[in-house]
Amino acid sequence: MTIYLDHAATTPLDPAVFEAMLPYLKPGGLHGNPASDHADGKRARQAVEMARIHVAKLVGAEVGEIVWTSGATESDNLAIKGAFEFYRERGRHIVTAMTEHKAVLDTCRYLETQGAQVTYLKPGPDGRVAPGQVLDALTPQTVLVSLMWVNNETGVIQDVAALAPQLRERSVLFHVDAAQAAGKIPIDLRAVPVDLMSLSAHKVYGPKGMGALFVRKKPRARLAPQLHGGGHEQGMRSGTLPTHQIVGMGAAFKVAAQRLAVDHAQLGALRDRLLGRLRDLPEIFVNGEAAPRVAGVLNVSFAGVEGESLRASLPELAGSSGSACSSATGESSYVLRALGREDELANASLRFSLGRATTEAEIDTVAEQVVGQVRRLRALSPLWRETA
Amino acid sequence: MNPFGYSEPVWRLFTEPLHAGMLEGSRVLVGKAATPANRNRLELRVLMKADRIEDARFQAYGCPATIAVGAWLCERAIGSTLADLSAIRAREIRQALEIPEDRHHCALLGEDAVQSLCSSAS
Repeated sequence: MTIYLDHAATTPLDPAVFEAMLPYLKPGGLHGNPASDHADGKRARQAVEMARIHVAKLVGAEVGEIVWTSGATESDNLAIKGAFEFYRERGRHIVTAMTEHKAVLDTCRYLETQGAQVTYLKPGPDGRVAPGQVLDALTPQTVLVSLMWVNNETGVIQDVAALAPQLRERSVLFHVDAAQAAGKIPIDLRAVPVDLMSLSAHKVYGPKGMGALFVRKKPRARLAPQLHGGGHEQGMRSGTLPTHQIVGMGAAFKVAAQRLAVDHAQLGALRDRLLGRLRDLPEIFVNGEAAPRVAGVLNVSFAGVEGESLRASLPELAGSSGSACSSATGESSYVLRALGREDELANASLRFSLGRATTEAEIDTVAEQVVGQVRRLRALSPLWRETA
Repeated sequence: MNPFGYSEPVWRLFTEPLHAGMLEGSRVLVGKAATPANRNRLELRVLMKADRIEDARFQAYGCPATIAVGAWLCERAIGSTLADLSAIRAREIRQALEIPEDRHHCALLGEDAVQSLCSSAS
């Protein structure tokens, strides 16, 4: 039996989400195409629009500002490539951070081959990019800033609310990847002038393969579509809408809105319990400790142990490791290294991401195993004897 | 439970590394090796009785294969002579532990530690 502490990678379906999806998925169910004008199509369309309401509501958006996509990776691609292409006559400079998700970084790298100039900001040791850093990086050519609201590895929360109005004043588009933020922290886009925002269903107990992009109407953010054919989603994202997936995302976001405060309190208490037990070990370091972080994520580096062995020592823990591989070409977490962690500590890190079903007993078991295995590996290590 | 796909001998010796630890005293020989690129370390210590190795211990910092190499070398060393030990090459270590090509450096680390130990005797 494994203990699943990898909810930042993906979450299981919420039972209510599963129930909501079934009528649109099962044989003999409501299979109509939401774009069809007959009765079956209308029923599907009503379900799609109800889901749009739930998604919009969780983040304080207008219903018409939600564009369905296949997930946050597609949303990031659509936002960044779409904005760059649409506004390329205005300028070709993009500002982002070194700690972004690969869906943003690789998209920016691609755009560099298409004439974009990209500035990759290095965050402080706490994992945050200061608004001033972003403003200093702007040039008259800057068309887009892309930053994630919550980092997937550390759980660090960026100060999006402080930065957004300053970018608005300067007429620079602001895209935010909120895949790890939605349902974890309160988001109100009526108060925070973000222009584009990526959302994912499966990080919030919804189905995999489903996401959305918030595209602001006032002032209107314009995008060049990346998928053509059929003109769905106001022409921004063609393709037959997957009704069951959309209904699942809507149901998940509805549950998330109801549970936001409860989840925050519950996961925060479990996270603190876990850290308290891990602190039995000397020389452990919480990554992003000095910054505000979401309640469910704890990323810890353990001095004196090698990352791959640490991960292999914990076969019953379904978690994430900063270790790619200790072979000659293996790279440790680029996010932790950007925070200034040396390779060994970036490598010897574990990300525990907790979820609604996580229990105190699971936390205690994991903590006991981690403490025991770190002690075992340290005892094996000639380096630990030298440095302790 | 070996969810990460290590070979059976690597997994067995990594999860229960026999002969981990230290040896001290005038009859103890020490061999040390390191790979600068990823800081893997292996230290071997053997206790000599006449021309035979009576006991062996290792310490290692590195991936599971590195730890398994240390444990395997200790098993292999006990009861043998230094001449036997010095004949061990990375290829033999890799075969015995079913270490894949991309982990060849772990087996080389073992060979280097053995050579270091044997040269300390001369």
